[in-house]
Amino acid sequence: MPAKSKVSRREFLEGTGVALVAATAAPVIHAQDPDAGPAAIQADPAVPRTTIRVVVNGASHRVEVEDRWTLVELLRDRLGLTGTKIGCDRGECGACTVLLDDKPVYSCSNLAVWADGRAIQTIEGLAREGHLDPLQQAFMDHDAPQCGFCTSGQLMSAKALVTANPHPTADEVRAAMTGNICRCSNYNRYVEAVLAATGKGSAV
Amino acid sequence: MSESMLPLKTVGHATTRIDALERVTGKATYTGDVQLPGMLYARVLRSPYPHARIRAINVSKARALAGVKAIITHENCTVVWGAGSVAGGVQYNDEIKKITKQRRYAFNNPVRFVGEPVAAVAAVNRHVAEEALQLITVDYETLPFVLDQEEALKPGAVQIWPEGNLGLNAKNEALPLGVKRGNVQEGFQTADQVFEDRYSTAFVRNAQMEPRVCVATWDGDKLTVYTPTGGISNCRNDMARDLGIPFENVRVVCKYMGGNFGNKNQNQDADLIAATLAKQAGAPVKLELSRKEDFIGVHGRWPTTHYYKVGVEHDGALKAIQLRGYSGMGPYRKNSGAMAGVELYQCANVETAVHPVYTNRTVSANFRGPEYPQGFFGIQSMMDDVASKLKMDPVDFALKNMARTPVAGAVFTNYSLEECIHRGAEAFEWSKRWRPRPGSDTGPIKRGAGMTFMNFRSGLGRSGAAVRVNSKGQYTLSVGVTDVGAGAKTTMGLIAAEALDVPLSKVDVMWGDTDRCPYSVGESGSRTTIMTGTAVIEAARDLKRQIAEKGLPKGSDVLSASAMPSPAMPQGKVRAAFGAHFVEVEVDVELGHVRVLKYVAVHDCGRLINPLSAKGQISGAAVQGIGMALHEDLLYDRRSGQPLTAGYYGARIMTHLDAPNIEVIFIESDDGYGAYGAKSMGESGIILSPGAVANAIFNAAGLRMKDLPITRDKILGAKA
Repeated sequence: MPAKSKVSRREFLEGTGVALVAATAAPVIHAQDPDAGPAAIQADPAVPRTTIRVVVNGASHRVEVEDRWTLVELLRDRLGLTGTKIGCDRGECGACTVLLDDKPVYSCSNLAVWADGRAIQTIEGLAREGHLDPLQQAFMDHDAPQCGFCTSGQLMSAKALVTANPHPTADEVRAAMTGNICRCSNYNRYVEAVLAATGKGSAV
Repeated sequence: MSESMLPLKTVGHATTRIDALERVTGKATYTGDVQLPGMLYARVLRSPYPHARIRAINVSKARALAGVKAIITHENCTVVWGAGSVAGGVQYNDEIKKITKQRRYAFNNPVRFVGEPVAAVAAVNRHVAEEALQLITVDYETLPFVLDQEEALKPGAVQIWPEGNLGLNAKNEALPLGVKRGNVQEGFQTADQVFEDRYSTAFVRNAQMEPRVCVATWDGDKLTVYTPTGGISNCRNDMARDLGIPFENVRVVCKYMGGNFGNKNQNQDADLIAATLAKQAGAPVKLELSRKEDFIGVHGRWPTTHYYKVGVEHDGALKAIQLRGYSGMGPYRKNSGAMAGVELYQCANVETAVHPVYTNRTVSANFRGPEYPQGFFGIQSMMDDVASKLKMDPVDFALKNMARTPVAGAVFTNYSLEECIHRGAEAFEWSKRWRPRPGSDTGPIKRGAGMTFMNFRSGLGRSGAAVRVNSKGQYTLSVGVTDVGAGAKTTMGLIAAEALDVPLSKVDVMWGDTDRCPYSVGESGSRTTIMTGTAVIEAARDLKRQIAEKGLPKGSDVLSASAMPSPAMPQGKVRAAFGAHFVEVEVDVELGHVRVLKYVAVHDCGRLINPLSAKGQISGAAVQGIGMALHEDLLYDRRSGQPLTAGYYGARIMTHLDAPNIEVIFIESDDGYGAYGAKSMGESGIILSPGAVANAIFNAAGLRMKDLPITRDKILGAKA
């Protein structure tokens, strides 16, 4: 079960949280912490809705969702966890990959209501107690993210892999992460990073 | 590293990106993550037809839907999208905007491609906005259409514009692009052998991971646009010009950006639509494009058809080269439609005529080295074939015929192409992997090798930077870059730290906001490191002189300096980046399957500012190029004009399992220009891979594959 982390925990406001922070801060790198906070998308009273319970990054939430919301809409728009990205919204690219009960899923292709009673881990929950996951450190060291938009998904797929298989081969890494497209095509660096984090040295 | 290049203190050392932590923790804020109070969501209704006149649009039902706040169509929005129609490769400026006969609006009537915007809705949430689109009825008069760039120029073809289908330039002239040198007819007459052939490339999409998105908000008459753009300054000027407001009333913000590859330069119609909706609704608007819309509503690389005629002497010396080319631009000329490559060869008699042609496919424009991978695939396939027919090793043919000077009377500032080729051939073990007789492996699985080489523009130009220091000796560098993924923030920080002679940790980098950063050239054309880097050095040296004179500021004072240099190359000197790629493939001629076994990419991009990121720039681009060679094609149904493969799956974008290991070798140089000798890099890696892969397939299978992408069916068809 994922534990809470100091690096990325966000306070979750239950109910109709409307605490909105415009992300207009000057982008100075050493002072940059653009925490958008939990965002609200305006609810449509005519739409069927369901109250679900989910454990997100170790924290339990009771939240009312519209039945048509996808899991990624719940995470990004309702819970403000914008580290998970939408690259295609149709199950092709993997940018929205999160762990649902420790298994990688495309959160764009799961409805939020299907997550009722289940545990979700996102990129925000990968670091623990203020310490980066070894995969995150290796991704930094190997310059794996270029534009960074696919990175959260790559990390979550890698996390699922190393949980199941702590010392994968390069081919096993490629196979496990092949559902995560990187258009910068920095695939060599991603594979190197996962192998470095799991003790297998260089790729090839 | 060449002996003349002195090592530096900070620049040239592998450095973790200054924003790496944000990128691996989900804290990097992309445009889609921006939330503003009271923000509405927008969606765009797009043409289902490749060519149609809109007789009427009825939005009354959509307007009556609860939660709909604004609707715009061509009837109530007549904003011109200047950057959407560059007219001949010249940036669309106010003068051109006045005279152009082929004006592109945010909403056009008639619509000229499937995916062209017809209406846009802003509503309280994205579901209501999508529902509202379903309630808009459009009465179309469908018109005949033409998809192929060669067909579009034939007599009797459907006319997309009254002026015809050959693209107009900035002076409204319909002329092909071309160069003429010597006399090709004489060259062919005196040649020992003359070869002719036809090549083509497909319609491939930038497909950057972050789909197009824009958040626009008005504060009185001041507009703020959060948008993924590689050029915040250009985007601001474009928005101001298109909307008819002073440029100081526009602020463009882009903090993180999910890839560019030429798809996010200048402003986009999505920015204009969001701004117009926000004005009408009186609330901030977020416009999000779906992945399919990003494929069909935003531009890709122009597809090309090339006819070459090459005359040679018996020893392989080139006598004449002729190229007649056709580039499919879609219905608007958003870029030149040029075709590069012929200039790679030393030849006295050259004639090229490349036709930018209007079609009813979606628009073509910048994609990483806009005119290079297509053109280089064509000419370097053609020359590989000529070498093969002369029974020459392609490496020998390249060394014999490649241009060692840029144009007559000029010289390169440094010239390392021979070294690139020799180093690459050695690292690759060319003589072991290349088959003297193509397709000579026994059995159905055959191996072979191919190579390509390049010189590539690496010019200087205008850009800006500002730097200040506080009393604690902490520096803040302001640069108008947005970091499309190539690491510009870190690169600029490293250059500043070097010039200031302080560690990188002493430099904060401020970027991505036109209200806070000076003009930067824009992250397109592989220019940022060279041009903005030069400005950073000038500003930093100025500040350093001030500190030497006055000492560090006291208390809350700061010292600051800024620079906006506009350097130009001295007459007769040309800067170029150089490179050579070597590829070994395995072709299963019974299944048509191609596998890349070994790939060596050698590049001279001048001095490397951050070697850690440089490697990924080349290897990532090379993998993109392999995708162009083997996979990608936005196919259209010829009868309906519908795009069929608009998405990652359909376009078969390269995945982890497809990507081979790319061995990258840098030959560093410092020619004394640019920022510490840096030359262009971002586009370099993609230019050579399509041709190198195709040549390797020929060497392995004995099949000259002339049409990209080289899919299984084409290989099996060529064999039959």
